[in-house]
Amino acid sequence: MHFTGTQQIKAPVAKVWAFVLDPNKVAECAPGFKTMEILGPDHFKPTLAVGIGAVKATFTLDVQLEDVREPDHAAMRGRGAAAGSAVDMVAAMDLKALAEDVTQMDWTADVNVSGTLASVGARLMEGTAQRLTAKFFDCFRQKIEAPDDATAPSTASVPSSPASESTGAQ
Amino acid sequence: MSTTGTSTIGGMGHRVKRKEDPRFLRGKGNYVDDIKLPGMLYMDIVRSPYAHANITKIDASKALAIPGVLAVVTGKDLDAAGLAWMPTLMSDKQMVLPVDRVVYQAQEVAAVIATERYIAADAIAQVEVEYDPLPPVIDPFKAMEADAPLVRPDREQKTNHIWHWEAGDAAKTDEAFKQADVVVKQDLYIPRIHVASIETCGCVASFDRVAGKLTVYMTTQAPHAIRTVFSLVTGIPEHKIRIISPDIGGGFGGKVPVYPGYVVACVASLQTGHPVKWIEDRSENLQADSFARDYHISAELAANNDGTMKALRVKTLADHGAFDAAANPSKFPAGLFSVITGSYGLEAAHVAVDGVYTNKPSGGVAYRCSFRVTEAVHTIERMVDTLAQQLKMDPADVRMKNFIPPEAFPYKSATGWEYDSGNYPAALRKAMEKIDYAGLRKEQAEKRAKGELMGIGISTFTEIVGAGPSHTFDILGIKMFDSCEIRVHPTGSVIARIGVQSQGQGHETTFAQIVAEELGLPVENITVEHGDTDTAPYGLGTYASRSTPTAGAATAVAARKIRDKARKIAAHLLEANPDDLEWQDYKFQVKGTPGRSVGMKEIAFAAYTNFPSDVEAGLEAVDYYDPPNMTFPFGAYICVVDIDRGTGQVKIRRFVAVDDCGNIINPMIVDGQIHGGLTMGMAPALLEAITYDENGNMQQGTFMEYLLPTAMETPAWETDKTVTPSPHHPFGAKGVGESATVGAPPAIANAVVDALSHLGVTHVDIPFTPWKIYAILEEHGVAE
Repeated sequence: MHFTGTQQIKAPVAKVWAFVLDPNKVAECAPGFKTMEILGPDHFKPTLAVGIGAVKATFTLDVQLEDVREPDHAAMRGRGAAAGSAVDMVAAMDLKALAEDVTQMDWTADVNVSGTLASVGARLMEGTAQRLTAKFFDCFRQKIEAPDDATAPSTASVPSSPASESTGAQ
Repeated sequence: MSTTGTSTIGGMGHRVKRKEDPRFLRGKGNYVDDIKLPGMLYMDIVRSPYAHANITKIDASKALAIPGVLAVVTGKDLDAAGLAWMPTLMSDKQMVLPVDRVVYQAQEVAAVIATERYIAADAIAQVEVEYDPLPPVIDPFKAMEADAPLVRPDREQKTNHIWHWEAGDAAKTDEAFKQADVVVKQDLYIPRIHVASIETCGCVASFDRVAGKLTVYMTTQAPHAIRTVFSLVTGIPEHKIRIISPDIGGGFGGKVPVYPGYVVACVASLQTGHPVKWIEDRSENLQADSFARDYHISAELAANNDGTMKALRVKTLADHGAFDAAANPSKFPAGLFSVITGSYGLEAAHVAVDGVYTNKPSGGVAYRCSFRVTEAVHTIERMVDTLAQQLKMDPADVRMKNFIPPEAFPYKSATGWEYDSGNYPAALRKAMEKIDYAGLRKEQAEKRAKGELMGIGISTFTEIVGAGPSHTFDILGIKMFDSCEIRVHPTGSVIARIGVQSQGQGHETTFAQIVAEELGLPVENITVEHGDTDTAPYGLGTYASRSTPTAGAATAVAARKIRDKARKIAAHLLEANPDDLEWQDYKFQVKGTPGRSVGMKEIAFAAYTNFPSDVEAGLEAVDYYDPPNMTFPFGAYICVVDIDRGTGQVKIRRFVAVDDCGNIINPMIVDGQIHGGLTMGMAPALLEAITYDENGNMQQGTFMEYLLPTAMETPAWETDKTVTPSPHHPFGAKGVGESATVGAPPAIANAVVDALSHLGVTHVDIPFTPWKIYAILEEHGVAE
């Protein structure tokens, strides 16, 4: 599944860049984010609980940042497994200053869900994946534009219920 | 056949109520999941999320740390015992558990053994398997390309091509095509489907370490063949293996193969010394068990302008998934697909099939169809209609013109089959009269004028069942005879044990009726046992509508052997010469002296209490019946559909099924078989299809996506019959379990195409989902 999107963020490029290179902040935007293990500056393992239709799965993703070109391009590759299911994804992002404090973010994501989740959730898969991916990037904007204290992890308004994530798909 | 017998006997032709039903209706059936043994452990299976991947690591430590988890079995464990691979019934081999590579999504990767079912289910999520995904091969045509990734690098042959098979005469067919006035050509895809039995697959494997004996309660359609294969694969002596197939909740072909779960459960029981139960859940069953159909067919039919069919040429690509684990007789990799000339007299025919590997679960098992006959019947019945449409002839007329005439039987088909008997025009005439075919055509013309979409479809199919004669049919070298052993007790009650077994067909009733008819003993005093290899005589099992043609014949022959002995005892009791006795009205009587007679009950008592000196005591017999030929049931089906221009929904308004399965044992059970078969034939025509995404993920993993027929879609079936006995079967029967599943889909398909033919539509592949039909209506500007 291939998804793309673009959005304008009311912040300078440098602020956006700092956000997206901070794994803790990015992870909080991930759907169903539960925990995070940081293995290095560009290697981390978030645990996400994702549901498609009636099926829920908890994935531990192995995420590697790739092709990081400060200040405007970064990509990541992730792979995760849950019981009988797997997800493989590649995402990339380009930043462009539209004005001093307005940044355009263009993103692409290729997501493959395999296994039981794909078999039992086939009808809902594309819609759910697209919605979760769009929400992930949209969350960046919200958090970057939020007042500084709101971006602290302790008060982050991350999606917490995988059930409510999925039921809205159809 | 005799219906003169008293109803107290309940022999041939009587609507005897099913002996099985009291226990089923009272919830006293005994299915595999009902089996509970002391100390029993539970198994669950870790499955692959990828259709094609290398396994880089399996870490079971977290699973093993869960209290109650006793073992995690992997391919490496099995490999050490030489059991990582097992033979299939088709001279291929398949993985039990993979050592380093998975080849389809949902493939078994490891098994957890635990003290409770729920612990096992929790623990499979804790077995950490690391994969390195490989490009999957999903499209069978791409699989045949030279640069396609290899599904099976373990083979010597470094392509995905499995086998090439042909039947008929290519040169003669080419010649007939050259001389024909008209050639119609059509590609057809018969989608991959799943039998989806109510009961999923499973087993309880119990190894007794003291006796050294392995007992397996198992959802299998062929217990004896399984016992022999298990013995050959594991080295356990065959007398130390007992396979019990208890009550089975539907087989339809899906329970003929040996699935990895059975083998792993046996290994786990051998390792732990405890009984081990494994039962699939519904999604596992749908995702990973063997599939049916998946034939990509290209057909050409040559004819003269007057509608006389001359020759048929068919090429097919058969998607077999990652292992050729179909359950066809050894010499028939494409099953009995060569019966594709159907009910029609053709000068020549040629059919070629190529099997191909893809990264999908095994294909090629039956779906209530004797070895690829559904694919064959769909093809020829669609081609006849395609020809009729091309020549602007009525499809009924084209059929009548080309039927093998009744007087031509036994008839040698262009692909080499000898049809035993048939009367095709009579069956079609009966169906046409019953449904008022002429009236329907008139109504259709009126509706068409008003813009309404109504279609009439005919299918006049010929089945080929009862595999089979030993000169041609075997499974892994074991000839496809079947058997019956009958013992008559001193008081005249009977136990009959048969080599086939029931998955719901009602063998305990119908086989008792055969014995009742042959011996003149009341059906209620006859017990039929099956499915336990320690007690039943060797047989090849129940599938392909073979029970009545093979073991049914064995039952009649065994009973006749008993009658031969009974004649001697009767002669002794009547103080007459055995040659002076005749068997009449279920009694031996002295010819011309009706008053002097003795029945089987008295003879049975005498067999233990008062037998002549030159006759052994007791009254029993065994028969292993080797059928001289296949049987060829047939039928004429007519279907009327209405298509909703607003939704694309196809509604079956009427469906008349005239079946001919030769002489009938129990008309009620035959009706039930036909009603069920028609519903199961409607399913792939309207609802069912298994598809895969580009990564090889199966897309119908629940009944939300894999649509089974319900009462909502099912019309009131109108059934009727003609009776053309099989000349070679001991009581003239042919088999009926699959006729309707085979015959129904093309009747529906022909009706749907007929409803759209005036728009220029010449073919639509099944299933006729509203979405697919609505797209066609839109394309032709008639959608509302």
